[in-house]
Amino acid sequence: MADRMKLDILTPRGAKYEGIDVPGVEIPGLLGELGVLPEHVSFVTAVKPGVVRFKKDNESVRLAVGAGFLEVTESGRVVLLCERALAPSEIETEAAREQLEEVQGELAKYSGPITAATYRDLDQQRAWLEAQIRCAG
Amino acid sequence: MANLKELRLRIASVKNTRKITAAMSQIASARLRKAQNALLAARPYGERMHEVVQHLVAGIDPAERKAAHALLEERKGGRTLVIAMTADRGLCGGFNSNINRAVARYLDQERAEGHEVVLMAIGRKAQAYFKHYGEDFGGREYPAAEDKTVVDLGKTVASAVIEAFLSEDEAERVDRVLLQYNHFVSVLNQEPRRIQILPLTASESEDAPTQEPTFEPERSSILQHLVPVAVESLLQQAMFNSVAAEIAARRVAMDAATDNASGLIADLTLEYNRERQAAITTELMEIIGGAEALKG
Repeated sequence: MADRMKLDILTPRGAKYEGIDVPGVEIPGLLGELGVLPEHVSFVTAVKPGVVRFKKDNESVRLAVGAGFLEVTESGRVVLLCERALAPSEIETEAAREQLEEVQGELAKYSGPITAATYRDLDQQRAWLEAQIRCAG
Repeated sequence: MANLKELRLRIASVKNTRKITAAMSQIASARLRKAQNALLAARPYGERMHEVVQHLVAGIDPAERKAAHALLEERKGGRTLVIAMTADRGLCGGFNSNINRAVARYLDQERAEGHEVVLMAIGRKAQAYFKHYGEDFGGREYPAAEDKTVVDLGKTVASAVIEAFLSEDEAERVDRVLLQYNHFVSVLNQEPRRIQILPLTASESEDAPTQEPTFEPERSSILQHLVPVAVESLLQQAMFNSVAAEIAARRVAMDAATDNASGLIADLTLEYNRERQAAITTELMEIIGGAEALKG
């Protein structure tokens, strides 16, 4: 049984990692954290903003990712498509914290329908900022 | 010798123009590499995203698409929103006018058949062009994307079109969203393309996946999550293409302009020298004529 699998992390700004060998990956799924190991059955799942963890060359890697998808192809390749991905070193924690406070303040004041685009945008921003802080912290 | 002076001024003026076009071409070359890299980097994401959506949507019976996700609903008739994606600046050959003409042609054609079409403009060139013809954007105007703003602008535009598509208000709602943009084929070739953004469709060519992947959670929850992201991704891909195509078009146009200026300068210099020689010859003839007369 293979103990490694190929992982791609793709964003619209380019591939964060491409074709790296990992023993497994943990992702923030829509229904909670989930881990994917080699020889997983081919499947598609949604990813919400959060922290992705995997081991590369025996070193733990953490990445803050935005909303997206995880796809395990028939050949067993794992592709994570997310709208953005940042390594802890790229995260400006202080700025993120300040922005988060601002966004939370606006969310608290918000009284319109929760289906409106403004609310969705705010909520997405909040999730993304929280993911960054958790990843850096 | 007024003609000589005129020629000299003309040559100086063309030389100045050539300096500008040569500089613009160089700037475009430098920016082109960056834009091309951004486009190449974004392609794998866009392509995978497209494939996943195809898988998901193709597996749903067309009749049930509306129930699966509101953004998949095919509506008959109604209002079409056309997005004209151009640049903010000119001097890039046919880049802007190709888009504007294609959209204008589409508008005429559809309106002649009695269909309702409204416009959204991305880039100042489209705004100026269609305003001249008295089109009303109703606030649907955005600046052109640049390397750094593509991702965010894609999101903004995506949420605007999704809101228009799902609007409860009859007067606001659009039933179809099309996008006209320049596809970057190569540095020398940009192709105006029109694609459908909403409703999301599965492509006609049914190369059905050999094996249906499992969806976890089930298809409909994934769709809820995926469809808005897919719309964003479509727009972002188009913007990356448009940015690279604009710079490539400018480089080609400015190269051609520089070559033309060089040609013009060569012609003018030749003419100038000929005139100068003619003037000298005339003067010499006069002097010799004078000397001969004195000798006489």
